[in-house]
Amino acid sequence: MPIPHSIGAHAGVGLRAPHVRQVLAERPHIAWLEVHSENYYAGGGTALAALDRIRVDYPLSLHGVGMSLGSTDPIDATHLGKLRRLIDRCEPQLVSEHLCWSGAGGRHLNDLLPLPYTEEALAHVCRRIAQVQDFLGRELAVENVSSYLAFADATIPEWEFVAAVARRTGCKLLVDVNNIYVNATNHGFDADTYLAAMPVEAIAEIHLAGFEDIGSCLIDTHGAPVAPDVWSLYARAIDRYGPRPTLIEWDVDIPPLDTLLAEAAKAQSVLDARDAIAA
Amino acid sequence: MPSLRELQQEFVAAVLEDGAATTLAITPARDAPERVAIYRRAVFANYRNALGATFPVVARLTGTPFFNAAVDAFVRAHPSTSGDLNIYGDGLATFLADYAPATELPYLPDVARLEWAIDEASRALDAPRAPESVLAALGAVVADRLPAMRVILEPSCRLVASRYPILRIWQVNQPDHEDDDRVSLDQGGQALLIRRDEQGIALESLGDGEFAWLSALATGAALGIAIDAALEADAAFDLGTALSTHIAAGTIASIIA
Repeated sequence: MPIPHSIGAHAGVGLRAPHVRQVLAERPHIAWLEVHSENYYAGGGTALAALDRIRVDYPLSLHGVGMSLGSTDPIDATHLGKLRRLIDRCEPQLVSEHLCWSGAGGRHLNDLLPLPYTEEALAHVCRRIAQVQDFLGRELAVENVSSYLAFADATIPEWEFVAAVARRTGCKLLVDVNNIYVNATNHGFDADTYLAAMPVEAIAEIHLAGFEDIGSCLIDTHGAPVAPDVWSLYARAIDRYGPRPTLIEWDVDIPPLDTLLAEAAKAQSVLDARDAIAA
Repeated sequence: MPSLRELQQEFVAAVLEDGAATTLAITPARDAPERVAIYRRAVFANYRNALGATFPVVARLTGTPFFNAAVDAFVRAHPSTSGDLNIYGDGLATFLADYAPATELPYLPDVARLEWAIDEASRALDAPRAPESVLAALGAVVADRLPAMRVILEPSCRLVASRYPILRIWQVNQPDHEDDDRVSLDQGGQALLIRRDEQGIALESLGDGEFAWLSALATGAALGIAIDAALEADAAFDLGTALSTHIAAGTIASIIA
């Protein structure tokens, strides 16, 4: 069975349950798709059967939300085993997870929680990423997360922490430009300083999504169009890094697929403009 | 300065335990409780949505405010232990049985058990259907080996019985249900087989003997022991009918003589 190859520096969308039937029936032109890995951890059933069909026609990225890479609990071997089984089954072009933690002491919060940006946390999360990469036998792309608080004992700027993770482990980076914007606003740093600190050669993918402004801070809801300021920051990121696979994420109040595809087309036009300059 | 371990355990406690004061040094310091509350709201909203999707009939029977409060209490009593939110919810039925505000809905725990069984069936391993090969294997078993034979059910099979009419309750609370939605609890109990087939999830009401037989087989009991259980539940249980029915339907995946 021929399987589509490289994702390339194109704009794709996150495939969510409400759009699966339409994608299967209409096979719309989409450069690539990303799914949440855990939604396909089941041993069978309709979702997995749909993914088997979809991945034949679309380059695929697996994006995990539950590995809890930064947790001080042991890595969940069952969870990791299911990821490896899924990778074997659908041969994704990219596999990513979050630079965060989700629980401790056996209690999981199923959320993306910020690490304290300390030397201890850096050493710990690097060991864990190496462990996961060894088990999977492939590179992981690790994503910077949004946060609504910071730990006062932090000694390392977030952007230096992220860059150090890539340098020390050889992992790739999934740079979420919206999360950089949200954190720059919430914590009062310069987003362009953050962009500039990312090791360009490690950047495998870029995420874009919408946030909500609740007054006291910005919340990364994935429930709105990409904000104008984030589009500007994205254009500066592509200018700096060169074209990179870019994904539109939308997870709550999910609009019609065409709305996502229109957002992806906007990202594609930024990528194309950069290509034109390079040419 | 706390260790990473201490910080994480303290933060989990601050999120899960409503109003718990945290000793963690958080910035912005003047807004720390509110910033922790942002995480608390997101975490509980996530569980309410996830369990609402897994237990839609329980949510409909109780109404959203009651359901959300029950979910919050369940999450605090039995926090998730996995990064895969899709497998969270085991134990909600047992929790509801002891949840004082739910005592007016005595059938609620069994409806939750039914919805959890449906969820498990939907996630079970895919298994090929091969009724002809099961029949052939059965035909090859010599008669005196039958009592020791093991009958393996297809992986999505789940068995749920209740003293309440839970299938009727479940059916009248489906979004597409029309007509009469009254349920008489005097109707009595129901024993159900839940499984996934080519069309999706199938719910089937079973006789007492058939239910006892399949339940025993599902625990790995030998055929002879399962027959005893069936006959105890229903003296009229007919093994030949039960075998042919469930081989043809695909409930029985294989036999080990």
